[in-house]
Amino acid sequence: MAVSYVPATFEEAVRIRRETGAVPVAGGTDLMVRYRSPAGTLPDFPWPVMFISGLKEMKGLFLEGVELVIKAGTELAVIEHSEIVHPVLREAVRQMAAPALRNLGTLSGNICNASPAGDAVCVLYALGAEVELTSSSRMRRMPIEHFITGPGRTVLKGDELMTAVRIPLHSESASFYRKVGTRKANALSKLSCTGFITVTENRIADMRLALGAVGPVVVRSAELESQCIGMDLNHFRNYKPDLRKQFAERVKPIDDQRSTAEYRKETTLNLIDEFFMLIEKELS
Amino acid sequence: MHQPINNDFLQKAIGTPVRRLDALDKASGRAIYIADMKFDGLLYARMIRSSRARARLLQVAVPDLPEGYYFISSKDIPEGGENRLYMITKDWRVFAEDTVRYIGETIGLLVGPDRNVLRDLEREIDISYEDLEPAFTIDEGLAVKGGPIHGEDNIFAEYHLKKGDPDSIFSGSYRIIEDEILTGFQEHAYMEPQGMVGEYKNGKYVITASCQCPYYMRKAVAGILAVDQEDIVVSQAITGGAFGGKEHFPDVIAGPLVVAVHVIRKPVQIVFDRHEDISFTAKRHPSRTRFRTAIDENNRIVGMDIDIAINGGGYQSCSHIVLQRAMFSVNSVYDLPNIRIRGRAVATNTFPSDAFRGFGAPQGIFACEMHMSHLARALGMDDAEFKQQYFVQTGGTTVTNGTIHEEVKLPEMLEKVLKASGYTEKNRLYDREGAAKAVGISFYNHGGGFTGDGEKEIIKARVRVSRDQNHKVTIYVSNVEMGQGFQTTACKVAAKVLGIPLQDVFFQNPDTSVVPNSGPTVASRSMMIVGKLVERAARQLKNTWNDQGAVEAEEDYVQPPGIEWNSTTFQGDAYPAFGWGICAVEVAVDPATAEVETKGIWTVHDIGVPIDDLIVHGQVHGGVIQALGYGSLEKLEVKNGAFLQNTFADYIIPTTMDFPAVESDLVENPYEYGPFGAKGMGELVFDGAAAAYAAAVQKAVDRNICSIPVNPELIMKLRQA
Amino acid sequence: MQHITFILNGEKQVVNADPSSRLLDILRDTLGMTAVKEGCGEGECGACSVLKDGKLVNSCIVPMGSVQGAEITTLEGLRDTAEGENIISAYSDSGAVQCGFCTPGMVMAAAALLRENPEPDEQEIREALSGNLCRCTGYNLLVKGVTLASERGKEKGIWQ
Repeated sequence: MAVSYVPATFEEAVRIRRETGAVPVAGGTDLMVRYRSPAGTLPDFPWPVMFISGLKEMKGLFLEGVELVIKAGTELAVIEHSEIVHPVLREAVRQMAAPALRNLGTLSGNICNASPAGDAVCVLYALGAEVELTSSSRMRRMPIEHFITGPGRTVLKGDELMTAVRIPLHSESASFYRKVGTRKANALSKLSCTGFITVTENRIADMRLALGAVGPVVVRSAELESQCIGMDLNHFRNYKPDLRKQFAERVKPIDDQRSTAEYRKETTLNLIDEFFMLIEKELS
Repeated sequence: MHQPINNDFLQKAIGTPVRRLDALDKASGRAIYIADMKFDGLLYARMIRSSRARARLLQVAVPDLPEGYYFISSKDIPEGGENRLYMITKDWRVFAEDTVRYIGETIGLLVGPDRNVLRDLEREIDISYEDLEPAFTIDEGLAVKGGPIHGEDNIFAEYHLKKGDPDSIFSGSYRIIEDEILTGFQEHAYMEPQGMVGEYKNGKYVITASCQCPYYMRKAVAGILAVDQEDIVVSQAITGGAFGGKEHFPDVIAGPLVVAVHVIRKPVQIVFDRHEDISFTAKRHPSRTRFRTAIDENNRIVGMDIDIAINGGGYQSCSHIVLQRAMFSVNSVYDLPNIRIRGRAVATNTFPSDAFRGFGAPQGIFACEMHMSHLARALGMDDAEFKQQYFVQTGGTTVTNGTIHEEVKLPEMLEKVLKASGYTEKNRLYDREGAAKAVGISFYNHGGGFTGDGEKEIIKARVRVSRDQNHKVTIYVSNVEMGQGFQTTACKVAAKVLGIPLQDVFFQNPDTSVVPNSGPTVASRSMMIVGKLVERAARQLKNTWNDQGAVEAEEDYVQPPGIEWNSTTFQGDAYPAFGWGICAVEVAVDPATAEVETKGIWTVHDIGVPIDDLIVHGQVHGGVIQALGYGSLEKLEVKNGAFLQNTFADYIIPTTMDFPAVESDLVENPYEYGPFGAKGMGELVFDGAAAAYAAAVQKAVDRNICSIPVNPELIMKLRQA
Repeated sequence: MQHITFILNGEKQVVNADPSSRLLDILRDTLGMTAVKEGCGEGECGACSVLKDGKLVNSCIVPMGSVQGAEITTLEGLRDTAEGENIISAYSDSGAVQCGFCTPGMVMAAAALLRENPEPDEQEIREALSGNLCRCTGYNLLVKGVTLASERGKEKGIWQ
């Protein structure tokens, strides 16, 4: 049976983490489910755990300079209802799970799960979010795409806790978000697609596209995005087929119990087309 | 404070709604389900199951068990007892011995007081197998892949029906249109998982269970212990949904449980968790139906050759009866000439399939409705227009050469559905716009009660109604309340006959030591058959109402006159009366994602006379949404013999957000032999919605749909084809 | 094992439990709160819904370690209040109760919604109940039940 801890303060949590390597459990919406066991028995955690949802120091969200800071213990429902959060992120959170689960789950928990199908994570990639990691001896931050290295894999060290998600403020001309879930509510996603387009003087000033559940990690390509900078409508129209093809090469979904690789690929490309139409609309 | 029950139905129509008798207890959490019950010295049991689909069972190595812990297996069956459950046939084993036939087959029970200890012990049990080649699909079963599982040829049952002269038609030169329609597994997904507790009390084995059929269970397990059926007492616990999933399957739990109680003589509880319940309980039979339809030069159907096969899984259970229902339903509401039907129930190494609301009819009706709509498309006609030409009429002939005795109100019902849904105008508009939108329609009926003379020859229902000194009336039947509202409707029937308030009528909790055997809670028979007996018993009681002291009345089933049935040849009236339904569904298909949005759902049903309008509409809504889940979302795949979608995160049933409100309408059509004119309805309302949904999507994407669930993956594939 | 102190239905409770044990098991087995049902054990069905610090949560995935100092309300704590009775009667009168296994969770979900939004429209009701699965009713009459509770509750001044 795994040992479990309930730290009373953040400092204690950091210390327990350093001394025991206990895995932090915030909302439990993933870990309590993944390691569930029959009624009346304890969850089957393979490592020591600590329950951190009671730590007030880890909750809250606020603006700091050009960033929105969402502390790691902040529940999804709080993010969903906060007016200082980017509307696309709010929408993505609103479409996650169900109200009761959003009252428990956290964005940081979602990131630490490193599921390529995490819907909000897809939006965080597009927004260029960074994560803040804290241990007793240091604090570091890094872009989310450096943090997540594969399905369920991150670079979180054994003595570190994720303490915040930092999201640069972003204002775009238009945004695109689609989650395709297994049903209309309380659904895991088959795929998701987030796009932002910023146009100044009829040229693309910024374009971002992040694709969820079509590879081991969320797909975003700085290279392809930067090629679009400065394009006007005609240029973009001419370039579009090639761009689509290059994105298509990066879309490598799998078959699983929720959908098929074929469906995921085809639908993702259809959504990319819809985003491209939005870009054209913004450029004209 | 809560309002008292409104007894307006005593003066007005019986259908005038009341607050259900069980509503407040359930909504306030006071209702006690099996997992909520307390027992002194309760032990818990974990089922130890086969992890192989087909194998020789070489060894079951059980670790040394601490005191108070037991491993129960076939070796514990007492002398003279059989390792077989006596369901309809005696084929399903209590415990696997020598071989296993499917993943999840019971090998033993691990029993003890501490659930954490049980879980740890379970991991130490080491079972060794020698794998054999399994057969999973209907085709693999028919091909006897890996050698026979059942008999010589894996055929649990094969039947043939003939109406008219199909031989001459199919030797002629008519245009033949062929089709193949597939349906998949479906999980019941009752909200309360399977559960029961067994005890040994006063020389009897007492089982308290979440179940539909207390007397079935008693019969199923008595032979295991070689005791009389009266030595087994089955008492129904409040049952949190069943849908057929608690008809026979609880026997599979009760069998090992009584052996454990026999050995240990202490109360033992088995309650499945959801993962077990999805992975290791029976499902709806998958089906494959092939049609060859002959069309004459006037574009009329002149004959149909139909071949149905259903996947029965590892044991027969009730597959042969499900097959019969599927065959009798495969012409839906149509009176077609020159029909030949072959049906086979096939053994495979999947989990045994069993009863599920509709009991074969949903498969038969889906196949028929889709095929008829494909014929309409091939002949350039609208579905509704094409199908209504063949509506059976009063005096018309069924596929078993029986007669439709009742008035058929389909034309009136169709008019209502067309009007409510805007079917014709909308389809014309969407077609003109080229929008990926459409309204689909389906027609269906469902015979109430057991097939043929089953009520008379097999079930022989008996009910009792009594009145005590205080003028409180109690109904004694073995049919259970499982959510469908029977407790309330049965009491309404008695109250109405006796002219007394509903508060003075009680429904005895079904317990085989207390209630007579009025048969199982299945086949849409509870109100139509048993409710009629309650009505008759109440009338009898009314005659003795003024007598002193306690009085009681019993009634036995009597078959309505004019019903002819041959149970060997399946010729005659398979059912005495039918419920009828029409469903229309409007959809819009997303061009990018192939996701379907359901814009509207309209139904009209003829169920005779509703005993309670609100309960009836609740059944309609629930049945239709469950059927739409079957038709659109509920994919259940088998991979290497195991169900792939085995959690509620992956086995997707509808939420509040998936479908809009069902608009439900009724036409009254009193049935002389039903209580106050009521006919069966619980299954009817499931039978048609999947086909209406598929027909709508079919029209919206302009491609024939031949299988369910119609999910975005399927639609995407069809659009690309 | 650890002593965990929390408020249950307005009363202080101290239980000795492993912090990783599920709130659901402690409520049902230790404290006898059997109105809280286990439907799935994976946070998908809502039968085990309770309020934690006034917010709807699935007690099957809440570890006791997260309950220290929290305020938990189960249906047992709600059913005899004007607020609880109003919802229970409204569901019962609307025909929203069939097998009843999902109903306690549906009462909790409705209570959480109506506290925040006493006059929800159909869409808001459907969203609020979207984490509570029901296999019997097709949801129509549950939605009507919440509407009825809203109307009656407004007349009674329950959320003022």
